[in-house]
Amino acid sequence: MPRKLTPYLFALPLLAFIGVFTYWPIAESLNLSVRSWDFMSPTKPYVGLDNYRLLFDSREFWNALRVTTIFAVVSVPLRLVLAIAIASYLLKETVLSRFMRGALFLPSVTSTVAIAVVFSWVFSTDYGMANGLLNLLGLPKVAWLQNPQVALWVLIMVNTWKQLGYDIIIYIAGLQAIAPELYDAADVDGGRKFHVFRRVTVPLVMPTTYFLLVISVIEAFQVFTIVDVMTEGGPAGATDMIVNMLYRVGFTLFDIGVGSALAVLLFVFLIALAVIKSRVVGRRVHYEA
Amino acid sequence: MKLEWTLSPMALLAALIFLSPVLYSIWMSFLTVDAYYTGQLDFTLDNYARAIGQYNFARYLLNSVIVSGVVTLVGLTVAILAAFAFARFDFRGGNLMFGAVVATLMIPSHITLIPNYLTLAKAGLLDSYAGLILPAISNGFAAFFLRQYIRGIPKALDEAAYMDGATPLQVLWRVIVPVARPAIFSMGLYIFISEWNNYIWPLVAVGKDDLYTLQVGLARLYRVNPGEDVVDWPLVMAASTITILPVLLGFLIVERHLVRGITMGAVK
Repeated sequence: MPRKLTPYLFALPLLAFIGVFTYWPIAESLNLSVRSWDFMSPTKPYVGLDNYRLLFDSREFWNALRVTTIFAVVSVPLRLVLAIAIASYLLKETVLSRFMRGALFLPSVTSTVAIAVVFSWVFSTDYGMANGLLNLLGLPKVAWLQNPQVALWVLIMVNTWKQLGYDIIIYIAGLQAIAPELYDAADVDGGRKFHVFRRVTVPLVMPTTYFLLVISVIEAFQVFTIVDVMTEGGPAGATDMIVNMLYRVGFTLFDIGVGSALAVLLFVFLIALAVIKSRVVGRRVHYEA
Repeated sequence: MKLEWTLSPMALLAALIFLSPVLYSIWMSFLTVDAYYTGQLDFTLDNYARAIGQYNFARYLLNSVIVSGVVTLVGLTVAILAAFAFARFDFRGGNLMFGAVVATLMIPSHITLIPNYLTLAKAGLLDSYAGLILPAISNGFAAFFLRQYIRGIPKALDEAAYMDGATPLQVLWRVIVPVARPAIFSMGLYIFISEWNNYIWPLVAVGKDDLYTLQVGLARLYRVNPGEDVVDWPLVMAASTITILPVLLGFLIVERHLVRGITMGAVK
């Protein structure tokens, strides 16, 4: 039989990695966020809350917060509405629905960089697919990614395209967990399809909706890759998200203090959301019981 | 469950339209640059030859395979070991340790970006495979997920093996791992794909062209001449296809495992 030390030895490698690369960095971020440092100088003088004050006084921070919030507030409901509608349509196990699920799910496992590059072409001004379609309809070209009024909406669209399949799969799993008799009963009553959808489907998958809502908001506040590749936050800051600002401040301006302060703020906000999420998941277990 | 064979042309069309940007980009990668601008059908493999030869994508591909492969193998091993400890042993501090592992599921990775960069810089591991791999090894989600799965395996199996004089490591390797293979396989796929598509960490951890992963290499190639008319789209799309293709092929082969792994993670 195993000795007393055995479980510790088994858990040790994982705990060591988590300690060094997850928990220590959190403490170190807090520490660096109250210091002034540029990667180079030998000292890291303590500056109190100056870095935070600097952020709150900067237009850049409020702009990034505003842009990220718009991104989240528009893209998350859009994804959920499309996903639940498509999921209830693809719920039946037919070859057709299998095929469609596969096609819709594919983008969510595909490289975000590659998708961002492909859509940079789609929305390029002179030879892109989007303007090609407008041209067929006799409409004028749009400078999709160079126009501050338009660029953010393009990113929201691309992100929706990429993430939709994931949401659909989760909704299908959620819907399949609901007793099919509920649908059958509605059929017998002669309930019209949309009526059933609104009165039966939507309320019953509410727990799944909460879950997706929270994780999508968490995700939206961490968006980086699509923006970095397609617009680099431009034009004129119109698509500058929090993480893009964090990357710029930390790794191109080398302002470790301010970058860390920004990371801490993001961390606190996302942890709050994650706590809400775990409450919601708890509630869901209750719901299904 | 009975499947109805109703793959209608409309559905096929809808799927094609949805995937058209990616499908067209693959098509575009075989066009000569002239053909791309003039709309002729003039195909070539030259874009791939240039991406691989001139722009180092063979090396990026190798780097991505090495990094994702090692992260998956080592990450799975570390997670399985810990999952076994948390699933099968009642030990002092065990709950607390497991709590610390589960809590990492909530922690957004960007908080660790700057400190991990500093840690690896101090250890002299920036611009190395180790620097790319080490921070990605710890995977609280995999450990949590596998622990739940192992708890579902009857304990009588372990006990029988212990009676025969097996050590805990032998029990894990001979009894638990074979039974948990579907879960391990799904989790391995999940880790591999996440790591293959990882962008921000390789972007900060590596400044040397020879160590770029496909993701970083592709983003750089696209930016060589960012701007409207100067992007060599057929070349960029060949590089993009090289980046997408391994996961795409894997997806077609093991789609169901993948979907199961992802839904198991989100919906219990």
